[in-house]
Formats: sequence, structure tokens, C-alpha cells
Amino acid sequence: MSAVPASKTRKMVVRGLLLVVYVGLAAFMLLIGRQHTILIDNKSAEDGSYEAIDGILVSVDGKEGAEYYSGDRDKATVQGQSHKIRIEVFSDGTVTEKTFKVPLWEDMTILSVPKLLAGIEPFNEKFVPLTVVLPAEDQQQYTSLPAEEPAAEGVLEELLPVLSQ
Amino acid sequence: MSAQKKLGRFISEYAVVIIFTVITVACIKPSGLSLTYIIQEIITRLGRNSFLVLSLLLPIFAGMGLNFGMTLGAMAGQIGLIFAVDWGIAGWQGLVFAVLVGLPVSLLLGWVCGAVMNKAKGREMVTGYILAFFINGIYQFVVLYMMGSVIPLRSAAITLSRGYGVRNTLNLESVRQSLDTLLMLKIGPFMVPGAAFIVIALLCVFIVWFKKTKLGQDMRAVGQDMAVADAAGIPVERTRIVAILISTVLACIGQIIFLQNMGNLATYNAHDQTGFFAVAAILVGGASVTKANIPNVFVGVILLHAMFIVSPLAGQRLFGSAMIGEYFRQFIGYGVIALSLVLYAWRSRKAIDNARAGLRQGAAGSSGASGAVDANNKGAAK
Repeated sequence: MSAVPASKTRKMVVRGLLLVVYVGLAAFMLLIGRQHTILIDNKSAEDGSYEAIDGILVSVDGKEGAEYYSGDRDKATVQGQSHKIRIEVFSDGTVTEKTFKVPLWEDMTILSVPKLLAGIEPFNEKFVPLTVVLPAEDQQQYTSLPAEEPAAEGVLEELLPVLSQ
Repeated sequence: MSAQKKLGRFISEYAVVIIFTVITVACIKPSGLSLTYIIQEIITRLGRNSFLVLSLLLPIFAGMGLNFGMTLGAMAGQIGLIFAVDWGIAGWQGLVFAVLVGLPVSLLLGWVCGAVMNKAKGREMVTGYILAFFINGIYQFVVLYMMGSVIPLRSAAITLSRGYGVRNTLNLESVRQSLDTLLMLKIGPFMVPGAAFIVIALLCVFIVWFKKTKLGQDMRAVGQDMAVADAAGIPVERTRIVAILISTVLACIGQIIFLQNMGNLATYNAHDQTGFFAVAAILVGGASVTKANIPNVFVGVILLHAMFIVSPLAGQRLFGSAMIGEYFRQFIGYGVIALSLVLYAWRSRKAIDNARAGLRQGAAGSSGASGAVDANNKGAAK
């Protein structure tokens, strides 16, 4: 078996390395550039385990903050996986800062501020939008026009004498 | 050379630039736009379009004319952007990702384009134009049928409601003006997209450097005479393919820069007019099919876009309809390409005629001289 010349091997190694760098750069851009939507939620738990806070200023990654009152929900758009949230409570002026991570392929995450302040983990989780499945008869109602109903029996007979007058 | 001849030559050489300058200056007043607004718009459009127009230079150096095949690179750039949006990569990172995805596609398409053009030497422009239509069909097939079915798409927002294919218009909000705003400079009353201009300046430096390299010199030699270059041992076909490859890759990046500034992508026809407007711009700047340089690019972009800015409003004020200005824009775009090609053909024919006349005169002069020599010889013999 003939040996591969050293220059050819070096060329192949360099090309291989370049390919690795190329793919690595694309992966790095994906990691640092991936955009996520964070739904910032200020609602009480249904079981009463935590209560919504009336009046807070929330900012994510040092961006301009937004005011939230009890029952409010808004969104923030962020890039990358690791983020810092800053919460300022109006009533006592306390400031809480916390770091959290969003998984790479999670487009939308919901972050509960009352949970975070109450120290309940995890305070952020994947947001799954509600899907409403209509009952079969309701679907029928929206997908096709109602069939023409036959005239009630006997009505025509009653009307005919009236119309003929 | 007499002053009249000099003036005639100047006018014939810069006819397109002169016509454009006159029309644009004449339209400024009726448009009612302030000079500050016009300059700001020109600065924005310089950042948006210059990269695309610069991508035309190398094929001209290599004697391949105006590369209408740059549309192929534009399509590759759009594919890169589709993936960047689909994978939710925002900001300048999204642009870099789009370039990284578009690059291999543009290399492949550039190689195809170069190989086809090598089979159609001397007819590169029309070949590139038709090739763009052909590849457009493949692009439409891939984006309309294969994306979402064979090539997975993540985002429902960009997928057609039937479940596969990309929507007609994509919102590039995630990458919108991310290059422009990376380094926005305020110079007087004007906002200058610094990062975009740095990228364009780097490309200009690359072009100047490239012209001095061995490959750049080979390209110029091929552009001047393919037979002589071949006899000198230059791999003509390979050099031509490299010129088209670089042009296609630059067009890919240029289209990404263009679209990030626009903020939306007309998936199926954003690339249609890319080659056409880039070619129009470089011709307006005083370039020809065989000769172009970096100043031609900037003069062309400034003049063409100054006219694009003022003509719709001038049309509205003068004729009561903004559409007149729009028609005018199209008419001027195609008209300038036609005029440049006609002038180029006319100049080429004139140069050939002059060369023939010179040869005839030379032959007549040399035959007269040889006759005199013969007579002298005869006289001496006597």
C-alpha cells in the first residue's frame, strides 16, 4: 500500500480543521444568538401557595424595566441562554436579582415573579399554549353550513287557505 | 487632439453619468425634499446597496462582463436568512449565521455558474441572465415544496398554513438593521451606519489587495485576452470560475446586508431585481462591460438612488401621480442598461474601425516607402 504524502495529509488536516471551525462558528452563533420570549407573570397560584405582588418593576438583562401590578403578564425578548432578572418591589423598595437559564430550543418560557420572590423552584418553565378542542357538533357548526331544514308538516296546509284569500 | 474632439470623447464616455446627474439635479426642486433628507437617504442606501454592487467588479476584471448571475448568490443569502429566522437567531449573530449557511450554497451555485459561463465564452451576460431564471426555478421548488417537508422547518410563523413551504413574506424583525445599528454614528444631522460602512470598506481593501495578487493579475490577463493568457500558462477556465465564485459569495453577503436593512424578505421575488439594479448602478457610475473600478460603484449607487428618492415625488408634483415616478424609475433602470450596452457596442465598433483605418494607412505608407526604396535602388544601379 502506497503511503500518503505528508503534504497531502497536512492539507487534509488543515481542511478538516477549517471545517470544524466553520461548523463551530455556526454553532456558537446559534448559542449566543438564539432568541427566546420570556413571559413575565405576576399572578397568584390557584392553590394559594404564593400571592401576586401589587406593584413591581421588572427588568431583564439590564434592559428598560416594566411595571407590573397584581394579575399582570407581559413579555420580554432575550438572546442566549443565561439571563439576569431584577425585581424592585414598590411597597418596601427591596431589590431582588436572580440568574436563570432558558434551554436552547425553548422558544417561550413563563417566569413567575411571585414564585421567584417566594423562593419556589423552578420559577420558570416552558410555556405551553392552551389548545382548545371543539366538540364534534361545534366543529360541524363552523365547518359547514346547516342543511336546509324541511318545512314542518302541516304548516303549508294551514297557510294555503290564508294565502288563497 | 482638438478641444471639440476631447469634449466629444468625454461626453461619449460619461454619457450615462451626465444624463443621470442632469435628471437627478433637475428633479430635486420639484420633489420638494430637503437636501438633508436626500443626503440621509443616500447614506442609508449606500450602506444597503454598495456591497452588492461591489460584487460585480471581479467578473468585469476577468472579462466576463456584468455578472447577472449574481442573483444566484442573492438566493443563497436568502436561504441563509430563512434558516436564521426559522431557528430564531437574532441580531448580528443571525446575520453571521445566515452568511455561514448561505456560503456553501453560494459556492456551489457560483461554481455551476462559472462552469456554464466557460461553455458560453463571449456570451456571459445573457448566459448569466438566463441561468438566473433557471436557478430561480430550482430555488422556488426548494423553498416552496421541499422546506417543511424534506428540509425541516421549526417555526410555524414562517411555514405556509398547508404545513410545508415558506410564506410569501418573511418578517426579519429579529435581524432587522442589526448591522446598521451595531455602530450608528451621528455626524452632524446625519445618522451613519458605521458597521455597514466598515464592512464595505473592508471589501474595497480586499478588492484592491486582490488585484495585486497573482490570481488578481491572472484575472486581468484573462480579461484582456484569453488566448494570450492561455499561451502564458494561466489556467483561463479556472481563473474565470474563481472570479464568478467570489462574485457569487459576495452577492450572497450583499443580499443579507441589503435585506437586514429592509427588514422583510419577499421570499419568492426579492432576488429578481438584485442583479438588475446592481448592474444599473455600476453602469450609472460610469463603468462599462469591460472597465470598472471602485469609484464607479459609489458614484453609481449615489446617482441611481438619488434619482430613486426624488423621482416619485417629482412625478407626483409635476404630473399629479406618484406612479409616474415609479414608471420613470423602472424605465430609467432598464434604459440605462440598454444605453450603456449600446454605447459599449458603438465604442467597440468604432475602435475596430479606427484600428482598421490605422492598419490601412500604415500599409499604404509602408508600400509607398518601399516603392521609393525600389526607385532609389534602381537609380543607384543606373
